[in-house]
Amino acid sequence: MTHFVCLNCGFSASEKDLDGIATCPECNVDLQPERPRRKDDSHTATITAPLGSQRCKPVFTGSAGEFFRIWIVNTFLTILTLGLYAPWAKVRERRFFYQHTVMDGQPFDYTAHPVALLRGYLIVGGGILLYYLAEAYNPLYSLMVFGIFSLVLPFLIYKSLRFFARHSVYRNIPFHFRGTLGESYKTYLLYPMLIPFTFGLIIPYWAFQRKKYFFGNIGFGTTANIFQGSAREFYKLYGLVVVLLVVIIFFSIPILMSFATMIPAPEAGIFNAGMIFFILSIYFTTLVVSTFVQQYIYAWTTNYCLGHSELGNIRFQSTLKAKQLFWIRITNILAIIFSVGLLIPWAKVRRTRYIIDNLTVIAGQGLDEFTAGVRPDESAYGDVATDFFDIDIGL
Amino acid sequence: MIEFTGVYFDGKTSRAYAVSVVFDGRTLHIRGVEGDYPALDIPLEDCTITPPLGNTMRSIQLPGGAQCQTSDTAAVSALERLTGQNRGMGFVHRLENRWKTAVGALAGLVLCVWVFVTYGIPFLAEKIAYSVPPELAEQMSRQAIEMLDRRFLKPSELDPGKTEKLQEEFQHLHSEIDPDSDYRLEFRKSPYIGPNAFALPSGLIIMTDELVDLADSNRELLAILAHETAHVKKRHGLRSIIQNSGVFLLVSALAGDITSITSTAASLPTLLARSGYSRKFETEADTVAALYMIRKGWGTGPFQAILLRITRDMADYPGESLLSSHPLTNQRVQHLRDIEASMPSGEAAE
Repeated sequence: MTHFVCLNCGFSASEKDLDGIATCPECNVDLQPERPRRKDDSHTATITAPLGSQRCKPVFTGSAGEFFRIWIVNTFLTILTLGLYAPWAKVRERRFFYQHTVMDGQPFDYTAHPVALLRGYLIVGGGILLYYLAEAYNPLYSLMVFGIFSLVLPFLIYKSLRFFARHSVYRNIPFHFRGTLGESYKTYLLYPMLIPFTFGLIIPYWAFQRKKYFFGNIGFGTTANIFQGSAREFYKLYGLVVVLLVVIIFFSIPILMSFATMIPAPEAGIFNAGMIFFILSIYFTTLVVSTFVQQYIYAWTTNYCLGHSELGNIRFQSTLKAKQLFWIRITNILAIIFSVGLLIPWAKVRRTRYIIDNLTVIAGQGLDEFTAGVRPDESAYGDVATDFFDIDIGL
Repeated sequence: MIEFTGVYFDGKTSRAYAVSVVFDGRTLHIRGVEGDYPALDIPLEDCTITPPLGNTMRSIQLPGGAQCQTSDTAAVSALERLTGQNRGMGFVHRLENRWKTAVGALAGLVLCVWVFVTYGIPFLAEKIAYSVPPELAEQMSRQAIEMLDRRFLKPSELDPGKTEKLQEEFQHLHSEIDPDSDYRLEFRKSPYIGPNAFALPSGLIIMTDELVDLADSNRELLAILAHETAHVKKRHGLRSIIQNSGVFLLVSALAGDITSITSTAASLPTLLARSGYSRKFETEADTVAALYMIRKGWGTGPFQAILLRITRDMADYPGESLLSSHPLTNQRVQHLRDIEASMPSGEAAE
């Protein structure tokens, strides 16, 4: 049985259900036959490009020196204005990374207006202040504020994604995000609440749903992205991660235990060389292992989600390697620590360049055929909030 | 006359049209290079020029959602000057574009941070601390002591008769140093923290049995109590909480979203500033205590003696470093001697 999908809104139905109708009931566009799911679902699958298609590699053209100057000047202005300049700094930093990502000779652009962000900063800043005040007065109140925050978070993420998409522009055509508020509450409130009741077994499914919320709802112009990932693959990934962690812990415990014998008797006090060495070795083991796991998950998820996305006639291929990302992250952390933060711009440019360098875009009929949709204005509260709380929404 | 070539996007499709643009002093004439489309004549005042950034392409927003992009930054800058747009961001761009000004910004940043950390944050923290309502201080202190009692402190095993005299002398002491606030002195046994005393913002002072046992005389303990009373009077507890959050906020703002990866790196400067503030408060409290002792005619001798005895028992404690919350004991003792020496003779009688 062939399935038909609408490339505009993602509507899908089987041939039988459609009963001869060839246009989408939602947007009145011609339906397209859905591509049969590829047998090889692994994230490194090489995509066989259809005939006549062009492979184009986006390039990152920014340099660390250029970004350092932008970063230091904007940070200085932010501090000098007691934070009021922060939205302008944010927009300039984003624009630097967007405008230096060049695909097919054309750069991306970020068009958010700083004033829209400033409003959001003030509102969110007020919320944070409330949280700290509540915490100082009575930790019970801060728990309440945290509860309210969890209720508002899905709304902020929803807003943030819409704002982010609306202001990401390529070839003067903005992206769009068509996820619903209801889906956001399901993804960011319901599933996390179920974690304790399912003994954590829902975590891979939750990770899948978060990606699906983004990749299944993002679109460029009037063209919607079609995400064909499956939760099963996420279960395989997290299963592998658990096995990996068990193996690492199994091997590192005896080593750490042997370090522990160097700790003198408790009478010598808490602070002694043996104890400090022991604590540091545990600390660094945790840092290295957690960084590796993070980067492994990031590499796999990015490769998988992009590999299973279709934007009109465009396919993506991402070839990130966990080992490389891990190396970049660890050396970045060391560089930032030893340069007292001065190498932050270098670290960001280096990581971005690696990620962009590993992306290939395969365009069926070129990049000229996308059309723009309507342009509703989006407010920026969400954008700032997720920024402030550093929530990974998988961009 | 300004001329440049670029790419035109109509904003309806993603197609790129190569164009040549001629500006005659009033109007932009945009013409397609390969064919008739587009053919537009647009007055410059209807165009919005996107602010410059690094060496990236410039873009001009045209009325109706169309856009013209070019790598000819000089030409667009010339147009920008004519329209008077982006004056602010143009200035920022000029700062960003030269190493000299970037290094200047770095120096300015270091100076700003230094001024904030040494003067700004302590000043604000002091203002805020003195406007904290007493009920809030009371509430915070109650929670803190409940937590400490659960974890680190045990009921005192001292003979109440032994501390009765000390309580009485403490009444005189705090009514002389800080007559406007209420104080309470309580004792706890704590093998964990050893000989020590600390004050909570509500005016509750906790002294360990171990410290009482270590002291040779009540005068030594009164010196410590004067020091703790000064902490409460000057609101050092609240001020340090506020200052530490201030520094934390500043560091987070500086490090931006990198904080999450390098939280260790970010916490180091916080820790440094925190111990710096704390040592300053300790010195201030020592000064108050020393002046009190001298005024009483006891001299700072008992204070020096108890300080030296406390640290002698904690020989292994490596905290005497840059990260320590208290100044080095030797420095504290020296500071006490200096105060005494600076007093007119006679008042400093032992």
